[in-house]
Amino acid sequence: MSIEAKALSRFYGSTRAVDGVSLSLSDDVQVLALIGPSGGGKSTFLRLLGGLEAPTSGSLCIDGENLSTDELLLREWRKKNGFLFQSFNLFPHLSARENIVLPLVEVHDWLRSDAEQRADEVIDRFGLSAHSKKQPGQLSGGQQQRIALARAIAHEPRWLLLDEPTSALDPEMKAEVLDLIQELCESGQKIVLSTHEMGFARGAADHVVFLAQGQKVEEGDAEALFAGAETGEVRNFLAKVMKW
Amino acid sequence: MVKRAVAIFVSLVLGASFCFVFWVVASHDYNWSAIAPYWRNFLSGWWMTLMISAAALVASVLVGAILTGGQLSPYRIPRILSRAFVEIIRGTPLLTQILIGFYLVAPAIGWDSRFGVGLLVLACFSGAYLAEIFRGGVESIPQSQWLSAKAIGFTGAQTYRFVVIPQAIRRVLPASAGQFANLIKDSSLLFVISVHEFTMQAREVNANTYATFEAYLPLIFGYFILTFPISLLSRSLEKRFSYEH
Repeated sequence: MSIEAKALSRFYGSTRAVDGVSLSLSDDVQVLALIGPSGGGKSTFLRLLGGLEAPTSGSLCIDGENLSTDELLLREWRKKNGFLFQSFNLFPHLSARENIVLPLVEVHDWLRSDAEQRADEVIDRFGLSAHSKKQPGQLSGGQQQRIALARAIAHEPRWLLLDEPTSALDPEMKAEVLDLIQELCESGQKIVLSTHEMGFARGAADHVVFLAQGQKVEEGDAEALFAGAETGEVRNFLAKVMKW
Repeated sequence: MVKRAVAIFVSLVLGASFCFVFWVVASHDYNWSAIAPYWRNFLSGWWMTLMISAAALVASVLVGAILTGGQLSPYRIPRILSRAFVEIIRGTPLLTQILIGFYLVAPAIGWDSRFGVGLLVLACFSGAYLAEIFRGGVESIPQSQWLSAKAIGFTGAQTYRFVVIPQAIRRVLPASAGQFANLIKDSSLLFVISVHEFTMQAREVNANTYATFEAYLPLIFGYFILTFPISLLSRSLEKRFSYEH
C-alpha cells in the first residue's frame, strides 16, 4: 500500500496525541509496524489511518485516495479496512459466527447464505469450528481475538489494521494469535500494526515507524532499524524492551 | 458462616412478618355481603384500569424512547428540551399534572376525553421515568462497543439497532418492569378527573356501604394480577436477552 501522510495531527483538547507526522511509503511495503512507548501516539495514528478519527490538521492519502473528513466518506473508507482492537471488542450478545455474519450482511450487502458460508470458512481456517456457536463470553481471550481477526478479514479488506492485537493476552494465547497474523502476512495481506512484540515486528514487518510523544522519531526498513537505530531514544527503547 | 446467618435472618424476619400480616388480615371479621351487590362496579373499574394502563404503557415506551433520543441527540436544543421535560415531569406531582392536563390544557385545544387525557398524562409521566432508565442503559454500553461498530462500518442507526439496543434491553428490563407496575398503580390518581377506574370504584363502594376494608381489599388482588405478569414477563425476557460478559 502506498501511504502519504503530510503533517498529520490529532489533538484532544490540549493533548497532542499525534503531532505533525509525515510519512511516505511506496506500494512495496506490505507490513508496516508502529512501535514506541505507550501513549506515544501509535493507537491514534492507526485510528487516523483507519478513518476512525478525523485528523485535526494535515492530510492523508492511501493508494491515491485522500482521507476525507466527511462522515459518509469516512464510513466508506472504514468499510474497506479490517480493524482489530487490543481488547477484542466482539459483540457479546451475538455468537462468534454471527459476529462475522452480521457485518457482511448489513455493511457489505452480502446474501445471508453467502455470509454464513464465508463465516464458516474463516472460522474453520482459524481452527475455531468447535466454538462457532458460542458467545464471546464463553471463549478464552485468545479464541476471542482469533474470532475478531476472522471478522476483520472476512470481507477481504484492502488492508488490516491491528491495534496491539496481543497486549491483552497471556503468552500462550499471544503465540496463537501471532501465528495467525504471521500466516496472514505470508498470504500477502497488507497489514499495519502497532505492537510491543518487537520480535514479531522485526520478523514480520517490512517497514517500522517509531512514534513517541505523538511524533515520528525514526523510521526505516525493519531489519536495519532493529539492527542499528540512528537515534539514541530508539536505541534505548529497543535495548530496554528487548532486554528480557 | 455469615452467608448462612444472613439467610436464616432474612428467612425468619420475612417469613414471620408475612405470616403475621396475613393472619391479621385474614382474621378480621369481614362483611362481604355488604359489597357483593357492587361486583359489577369492581369489574368495570378493573377493566378500565387494565385498558388505560395497557394503552399508557405502550405510549409511555414511545414517549420514553423519544425523550431518550432527544437527550442523546448531538444537537443542543432537543437535548435541552428533553432534559427540561424529564426534570419537570419527574419533579412535580402527577395529581397536579392530571388536573392541569384535563382542566387547562385539554379545553384549550377543545379536547374533552377523560380517558384520552388521562392516558396521555400517564404516558408522559411514566415516559419521563423510562427515558432516564433507557438513557442509563444506552450509556452503560462500553465505548469499545461503539468504536468496534464504527470500525466495522455500521451507520449510527445500525449501531443502535444491532449493537447498543440489544445489549441495553437486558440492562433496562428490571427497572422498566418496576416502572410499568408503578404506572398501573399511578392510574388510580385519575379519579381526580372522574375516570371510573378500579380505585375510584372502590372509593364509591366504600362511600355507599361504609364497608371500608371490604371495598378496598379487592384492590390488592386486582392490581396484583396486573403487575405480577409484568414481573414474570420481565424475568423471562431477561433470560432471553442474557449473555455472558
